[in-house]
Amino acid sequence: MRKTFLVLTLLLLAGLTLLAPVQAQGCSAEAPCEIDALIGFTDHRLDWAVERAVEFGEMFPQYVVNIESFSDYEPLLDSYILSQEQGNPPEIMQLFEVGTQFAIDSGYFKPASDIIAGRDEVLGQPVDFDDIIPVVSSYYTIGGDWSSVAWNTSTPILYANLNILGEAGIMDLPTTWQGVEAACEQLQPMVDAGSIAGCIVWPNHGWFYEQWLAQQNTELVNNGNGREGRPTQVLLSSEASLNIVQWHKDMYEKGYYAYSGKQRDWSGAVQAFNSQQLPMIMTSSASAGGIMRNAGENGVEVGTSNMVYDEEVGWTGNILGGATMWITDGLEPEIEEGAMAFLLFFSNTENSATWHQVSGYVPVRNSSVALLEEQGWYEENPNFLTASIQLGESQVTIATQGAIFGTFVETRNIITQAIEDAMLTGGDVAEIMAAAEEEANVLLEEYNLLYVDE
Amino acid sequence: MYLVSPLVLLLLVALAGGGWSAWRARAQGAAPAVRQRAQLLALLGAASAALGALILLAPLNFCPFELDGDGNADRLNVMLGIFILLGGAFLAHRVASSLVGRWLRGEALPGATETRTGLFSGPGSTLLALLCLAPTLTILTLFLYYPMFDTFQLSTQLARLGAPRTRFVCMRNFNQLLGDPDYGRTVLVSFFLAAFIVLFSLALSLLIAQMAYRPITGGRFYRALLVWPYALSPVIAGIIFELLFHNTAGVLNHVLYSTFGLKVPWLLDPTIAPWTVVVASTWNILGFCILFYIAGLQNVPNDLLEAAAIDGASAIQRFFSITFPLLSPITFFLVVTTTTYAFFDTYGLIDFLTAGGPVESTTTMMYEVFEVGVVARNLGSAAARSLLLFGIVIGVTILQFRFSRGRVMYGS
Amino acid sequence: MEEKLGLPYAAAPVTPRRRRLPKRWYAHVILITAIIITGFPVYYAAVVATQSNTQVFNYQLTPSTYLERNWDLVIHERQLPRYMLNSVIVALVMTTGKAVLSLLAGMAFVFFRIPGKWLIFGFVLITLMMPTEVMAIALFRLVGVELQWGGYDAMIVPFIASATGSFLFRQHFASIPGELSEAAQIDGANPLQFLWYVLIPISWNAIAALFVIQFLYAWNQYLWPLMVIHETTLKPVQLGLRSLRSGTETGDSFGPLMLGAVLASIPPLVVFLALQKQFMSGFALTRDK
Repeated sequence: MRKTFLVLTLLLLAGLTLLAPVQAQGCSAEAPCEIDALIGFTDHRLDWAVERAVEFGEMFPQYVVNIESFSDYEPLLDSYILSQEQGNPPEIMQLFEVGTQFAIDSGYFKPASDIIAGRDEVLGQPVDFDDIIPVVSSYYTIGGDWSSVAWNTSTPILYANLNILGEAGIMDLPTTWQGVEAACEQLQPMVDAGSIAGCIVWPNHGWFYEQWLAQQNTELVNNGNGREGRPTQVLLSSEASLNIVQWHKDMYEKGYYAYSGKQRDWSGAVQAFNSQQLPMIMTSSASAGGIMRNAGENGVEVGTSNMVYDEEVGWTGNILGGATMWITDGLEPEIEEGAMAFLLFFSNTENSATWHQVSGYVPVRNSSVALLEEQGWYEENPNFLTASIQLGESQVTIATQGAIFGTFVETRNIITQAIEDAMLTGGDVAEIMAAAEEEANVLLEEYNLLYVDE
Repeated sequence: MYLVSPLVLLLLVALAGGGWSAWRARAQGAAPAVRQRAQLLALLGAASAALGALILLAPLNFCPFELDGDGNADRLNVMLGIFILLGGAFLAHRVASSLVGRWLRGEALPGATETRTGLFSGPGSTLLALLCLAPTLTILTLFLYYPMFDTFQLSTQLARLGAPRTRFVCMRNFNQLLGDPDYGRTVLVSFFLAAFIVLFSLALSLLIAQMAYRPITGGRFYRALLVWPYALSPVIAGIIFELLFHNTAGVLNHVLYSTFGLKVPWLLDPTIAPWTVVVASTWNILGFCILFYIAGLQNVPNDLLEAAAIDGASAIQRFFSITFPLLSPITFFLVVTTTTYAFFDTYGLIDFLTAGGPVESTTTMMYEVFEVGVVARNLGSAAARSLLLFGIVIGVTILQFRFSRGRVMYGS
Repeated sequence: MEEKLGLPYAAAPVTPRRRRLPKRWYAHVILITAIIITGFPVYYAAVVATQSNTQVFNYQLTPSTYLERNWDLVIHERQLPRYMLNSVIVALVMTTGKAVLSLLAGMAFVFFRIPGKWLIFGFVLITLMMPTEVMAIALFRLVGVELQWGGYDAMIVPFIASATGSFLFRQHFASIPGELSEAAQIDGANPLQFLWYVLIPISWNAIAALFVIQFLYAWNQYLWPLMVIHETTLKPVQLGLRSLRSGTETGDSFGPLMLGAVLASIPPLVVFLALQKQFMSGFALTRDK
C-alpha cells in the first residue's frame, strides 16, 4: 500500500508538470494547425458538423478542425467569454442572433468582411454573399458589412399530430390564436378523458414573445429597434407586448397550454409532442428533422403550419432565429484564412442544402433552395417548406428585422420569467411587464455605462 | 457630500469603544489588576474600535456616508454604513479585549504552551515544521483568502466579465438586494430546502443504517446499492429526476395516472416543486449519510446495549437513551455537511431539474450567484450575493456549533 | 490491523458474528424496500440506457436492444472514456496531493513547537467555513484571468490543500501517545522518517477515509470545471456528460445520456467498495476529538 502511495505521489508531480500543447509554427500536412470551432448542438446536427469538418480536413490537410459541442447557445457563449478571458479562445464560435450586439461590443471577433477584404474566394472557397436569402442578410448585415458567416436559420412553426386532431374532428390546422383556441376547445373532451395531457405546448422562451411582437409590427427597443442608434429603453409595456402575455396567460389558465414548469424547456416540449401526450407544438423549424423522424418511427402523421398570430391585429412577418459563425480576432493569418475557408465551405450551396435536410433549418442560400427544388425534396417533404414560406412572405420592417442591443440575452430571460410569473402567480399582466421593463432598463443602463463611450 | 465627516465617525466609534472598555474595567467583579489599569484599557478599547472601523471603511473611502440626493438609496447606504462601522469596531474590540484580558490576568495566549511530550526539537526543527506547513498555507492564502478579499472588492463595483471598464458603485449592489422582495424569497427558499434536506436525509439514513450495520446476509450487497445514488453527481441526479418527474412526459405521472388516475404537477406547481427538489436531493445525499451512520453504529459498544436490555429497556428506549446520544458527533458532522450540500452542491441538480423555477420557487442563493455572475456576467452583483450567502452560511454554522455545545458527546 | 497501537477505538468489539437470520427478517424487508425506492431511479437510468428515444417516450420499463448503439455513440463518438480518464487523473492527483499536504500539516501541528501555532491553526481551520463555490467568480479572475490556467492545473492546484484533511490528521495524530515520537527520536529518526515509517502506517484508515470523500468530491466537481475548462480533451466527466445532452430545439437522446451517467458512477463506486472497510474504521477514529 505504501508503494501505491508513492506511485500516486509521483503521479501528482507528473500531473503538475503537464504543459499546454505547444503552438505549431506554420501549417502543414505533417503538423496541421488546429482550428477549434464551438457549436451549440449535441445531436445529429453535431454529427453533421463533424462530418463536414472531416471533409474539410481531407481537402486541406494543413488544417484540423475540431468541433466542440455544447448543449445550448448560452453555455456556449459563457464558455467562449471565459476562455477569451483566459487568453486561449477557440478560433470559431457559433453565436445566436441575440448576441450580435454584444459580440460587436466585446471586440473579441474580427468581422468576416474584414477577413475577406473584397476577395471573391478564400483558399479556393468561393465567397458569394449576394446568394444569401434577404431575410438573413437584412438581419446580420450592418451597413452592408457581414460581421459573421450565416449558418443556421430558423423560425417557429406549428407542428400537429394529425392522428389526434383527426380523432377530434379537426381537419384544418389552426393558423391564428383564435384558431388554436377553437381547436383546443374541440380537443378538451380528449384531455378530460385522459387520452392526451393537454392541447398545445411551446417552450416558455422569450424568442416566441419576440416573434409575436414582430408579427404585430412592434419594436422591442427604442431607436429603431436598435438599428438607428444605441437603444436606451426596452419597451415591454407596449399594447402588443401586453396582448401577447395576456394571451399566454389565458391559454394557460384555460388549461390549453401545457406548461412543464421549466423555462426554456425545449427538449421537454418536443418530448411531450413526440410521446403523443400533446397534439400540437410550436417550436423551431429546426426540430423538423427530429420530429419527422420520430413520427416516421411511430407511424404518426405530422402536419405543419405557420406560427399562429392574432387575427385581430394581423400578421406583418416573423423574425429569423438561429445563429451565425464568428471568427476570433488576433489569430495567426494562416489560421484565420483556414477558419474562413472552413466557414465558406461549411455554408456553401451543397452543404446548406444537406444541412437543411438533416435538421430543418432554412437553407440560407437561394442556390440551395434551387438545388433542393431540383431534387424534388419539397414535394416529398412539404413540412420542410413551411418555415421558408413564413420567412419569405414576411414584410421587412424595423420590427421584423429584429432588435439589436447589448443586453438582449439577459432581457430575453427577464421576459421569459415575466411570462412565467403572469401564468403561475395570477398577477396583473401590466404590472408584471412594467416591473420586467424596469429590470431590463437597469441592465441596459449598466451595460451602456460599461461599454458605450460617452 | 458626506452626511458626517469620516473623522467625526471614527471619533464617535473610538469614544464608544473606550467608554465600553472603561465601564467594563470598573465594573464590579473586575480583577484588581484590571481596575488599576482602567485608563490604559479605555485607550486601548478606543484605539481598537476605531481601527476596526477604519480597516473596513477606508477601502470604501467612507462612501456609504456620502449622499447623492436619492433619499431612499441614501438612507439604505447610511444604514449599511453604520452596520459596517459598528461591526468592524465590535469585532476588533472583542479580539483586542480578549487578548489584553489574558495578558492582564497573566494567562498564556491560547495554545502557547505545549503539553505534549516527544516534540521534535533539534536544530532547524521549527524551520522544517514551517516547511511542512508552507504548501498548505500558500494554497489556502492564494486560492481561498485572496479570492475572498477580491469578492469584497468586486461587491462594490459595477463590473461585467470582459467589459472594457468597471465602475465603483459603493453599496449599490447590496442596496438593490436588500430592497428586492425576490431576493428575500431566494433566501427563504434556500433555508426551506436546506431544512428539509437535512431533516429527511438524516432521519431516513439513520433508520436504514440501523437495519444495515449488523452483519446480515448480503450486507455488502445492500450497502453497495444503498450508496450508489451518492456516486451519481447532483447533475446526473437532476437529469434522472427530470426524466421521472417531468410534467407531461415523465414516467412517474404516467404510472400514477394509469393506476390511480392521478397527475401531480411535480415541477409545475410552485408549492410542490421545492418538495420535488427536496426528494431528489435527499435521494442523492442519503447514501453518504447511511455510510457514516453505519460506521458510527458499529462502534456503539454492545455491552451497554445488552446491559440496558437486561434492565428491561425496550429497543426504542435503548435507541433514544444510548444509541442516539452516542451517535451525536456523527449526527453533528452530518448536519454540517448536509447543510453545506443543500446550500451549495444542489446547484447542478436544480439547474437540470427545474432551472430554478417555477416562479423562482426553487431558485436558491447559490443558483442565483451563478445565474447572475456567470450567465448574466454581472460580477458586482454576484459578488454581493456571494458575500451575503457566505455570511448566512457562517451564521448557520456558528449556530449549529452553539447548539451542539454540551449536547454532542465525544468519545464513549 | 495496524491501528491496534493502543488507539482508543481499535479495542471496541464489533458485534459478534452470530447469525440470527429468522429473527431479523424485518431488517431485510426494510432494506429491500429502501433499495427498491432508492434504487428505482438508478434502475430506470440503466434501463433507459438500453433504449431508443421512442421507447423512452413510450414509458417502457424493461431493457431493450439499443445498448450496443448507445454504447457506440457514448464510447466512440462522444469519447466518454477520454472524459473519464481526465476525471480519474484529476481525482487521483488532487486526492493524493491533499493527503500528502494534510499529513505534513498535521504532523507539523502536533509534533513540533512553532511560535504562534494556534494562530496558524486558526488560519487553516477558518477555511473550513469558506466554500470555494461562493468565491468561484473571484477564483476565476485569479486562476483563469491572471494566471491563465485552463487545464489540469486549474482543476487541481487551487484545491490541493485541505482544511478538512489537516484537521483530520491533526486530531488523529493528537491521539497518538507522545512515547511513540520519543521512541522514534531515541532511535535517531528524523521527522520525515518518523512520518514515513510510523505515522503513515498507523494512519491508513484515516487516509482511506479522506481518500474516499475527496475522490467523490473531485469526481462530482461541476461548477468550477464549467467555468475554467474549455478544451474538449481536458473536460472532466461531469462536463462530458453535458455534451451528451441536448438542450435546444430537438428532444434529448436519453439513452446515451443515461448510459453515460451509469458508467460515470462506476469509478466512485469502485473506490468506495475497495476502501469500504478502511473508510468505516477511519471515520470511527475521528470521532475522538
